[in-house]
Amino acid sequence: MKLKKVVSVFMAAMLSVGLLAGCGGDAGKEDKKDTSESTASNETAGEDESQDAGEDESSEGSSGAEEVTIWYYWETEGHQKALDKVITDYNASQSDITVTAKYVPFADFKKQLSIGASADELPDIAILDSPDHASYATMGIFADLSGKFDVANYYEGAVDSCTIDGTLYGVPFGVNCLGLYYNQDLLEAAGCTVPANWEELKETASKLTKDNVTGLAFCSLQNEEGTFNFMPWVWSTGAGSYEMNSEGGVKALTLAKDLIDSGAMSKECINWTQGDVMNQFISGNVAMMINGPWQIPTMKQEAPDLNWKVALIPQDKEYASALGGENYAVIAGGNEEGALKFLEYATAKEQVEYLMDSFGYISADKTIAEGQFADDEAMKTFTEQLNYAKARGPLAEWPEVSDAISLAFNQVMTGEKEPKDAADAAQQVIDGIVTK
Amino acid sequence: MNQTKKKKLFKYDNVGILFVLPAFLYMLVFVGYPIVKNIILSLQDVTVRTLTADHKPFAGLQNYIDIFQDPVFVKSLVNTLLFTVCCLVLQFIIGFLLALFFNQHFSVSKPVRGLMLIPWMIPITVTALMFKFIFGTDVGILNYILTSLGIISENIDWLTSTNTALFGIICANVWIGIPFNMILISTGLTTIPKELYESASIDGAGKVQTFFKITLPLLRPTIESVLILGFIYTFKVFDLVYVMTGGGPVNSTHMLSTYSYKLSFEMFKYSKGSAVANVLLVILMIVGVFYLRATKEEEE
Repeated sequence: MKLKKVVSVFMAAMLSVGLLAGCGGDAGKEDKKDTSESTASNETAGEDESQDAGEDESSEGSSGAEEVTIWYYWETEGHQKALDKVITDYNASQSDITVTAKYVPFADFKKQLSIGASADELPDIAILDSPDHASYATMGIFADLSGKFDVANYYEGAVDSCTIDGTLYGVPFGVNCLGLYYNQDLLEAAGCTVPANWEELKETASKLTKDNVTGLAFCSLQNEEGTFNFMPWVWSTGAGSYEMNSEGGVKALTLAKDLIDSGAMSKECINWTQGDVMNQFISGNVAMMINGPWQIPTMKQEAPDLNWKVALIPQDKEYASALGGENYAVIAGGNEEGALKFLEYATAKEQVEYLMDSFGYISADKTIAEGQFADDEAMKTFTEQLNYAKARGPLAEWPEVSDAISLAFNQVMTGEKEPKDAADAAQQVIDGIVTK
Repeated sequence: MNQTKKKKLFKYDNVGILFVLPAFLYMLVFVGYPIVKNIILSLQDVTVRTLTADHKPFAGLQNYIDIFQDPVFVKSLVNTLLFTVCCLVLQFIIGFLLALFFNQHFSVSKPVRGLMLIPWMIPITVTALMFKFIFGTDVGILNYILTSLGIISENIDWLTSTNTALFGIICANVWIGIPFNMILISTGLTTIPKELYESASIDGAGKVQTFFKITLPLLRPTIESVLILGFIYTFKVFDLVYVMTGGGPVNSTHMLSTYSYKLSFEMFKYSKGSAVANVLLVILMIVGVFYLRATKEEEE
């Protein structure tokens, strides 16, 4: 009898887990489909010369070249092709190392790295989102690159994002930051000029709001993406990332509240990704938006007739923007030597210029960035904005800080809490994490 | 000694073990191991700083104590239960009524019943996006219809208000769940012999009486399975919530599954995430016991 009971409990456990696994299994399958390896040589069809070279190489490569694998999460075809071209060229240029790149969807990227770290199944190079860099470096999965790369000419924020306690754990791939896009036609129709400070921003946004158009939009999701879009307001007041209940932090939250309350910004922003915000902007529902330069290729393609321009984000006390972009990291204990050799190649001027241009990114190397966009007004503005851009963190527990901050502005925007109360609650969480 | 053991193993009586062995090993490796591993993880203190360390600090039940004091966890537990019960009741009743309706065998009943299955076949992420558009505040069709009919004067912010977001997700899930309930109950209805209804009508029983005296009692096993399977499917909802609201606004729609994911893979609090997952597991296990008991009774 007793045995029967035990067996039935065991069966129940199996059953419930089996059902749980049912959904997990599907996800797993999708992963596999998505993460199909795209070796450099099979993607660059059409470029006959490099194709041939690539094939020669891979046949030679199988006879004993070292493997270097890369994980990345860019889903845009143009990005993938550009990376593949650099890899193909590299594989063709020497015979010791064969580099392979693998696409891991962004939503799964952090999960895969975590799982990989605990299971010891990691690539040799990871190209990851810069705010996550500190967390993984703290896990100890990244190799120390101090002194191996010259980052003196790089943007400070970008280098900061991969530096912990003075040790360099990565190399910036490329950078971007947020700026203010505005719809020139709507602005002219309403008789407005481009806002330069917060007062003007509120006024302009209100004036632009009529019928189905709202004045301003920025992604305010309760996650890292939302925090990324909110931090420029906080920093513009002169407050630091960990000072939410300071005068500046409360002021930034109040700005968000004012914009929502006056109707100049749609409350739906808390459910919009940056891509959604861009879609609303190009369909004319939103007159101004905060967004990054990576949207430009899509905007030009989807709405070639839209008359838009880019300006610096309106300031309170100082100009500010949030620094985005990816970093290369070399995995400790992998094929470090091979990975370093490839990175030396990939961070050389010629490759960087090619990658940045095809990505719509700005080079993290100031000397390259300054000459990058001679005749592109929008990109020139972004390059200027970059001088005011700060990195989030770097802190191993940044995701927790980010969660507290994004909760605060979500509470304010939904009217759940007053700015001061939300700021105090966030500060309490942040103080529990940041001891400094 | 060894020899005799080997011989014994292959005795005819024990051959059964060999047949069970592959399934047993499979369960042990792919189901048993992860459960045990997850329980161990939830008893340790694994965060960013200790994930790759050789020695992981032991935390005892601290993670469980912490999560039960965490308002977001309590909120997501309540949400999960509320969500499950609401969905189950609504989709069961509507599914049941539709099953009875399509059981009338009118001329297009079969093809229409087939079409009703579409919500069940659409990938959940697609459904989630679709409902996200339907419930949009300024561009959503629901607000448009309600305003046109004069029912509301101002747009309701369905998914961006903490009061109504869960309702939106429940609607989406009910829509998905109706065909599942309908098809299982339809199948159950066909197993009831027609003669019973015929003799009942000869005896002068009315529609309502036949429903409560014949249909319901004979459908009991089917209903039990539908409800319990429905409970398990609904309780572990993830993708729908993840896509529609991501747990927001202000954590008001987090479920145990999404909160566990957030803790583990967004905030790197692996041990707390696994503790939440274990709570989910225990609740599903209890329901699983009921399910096995129900099916066992049926077999006997």
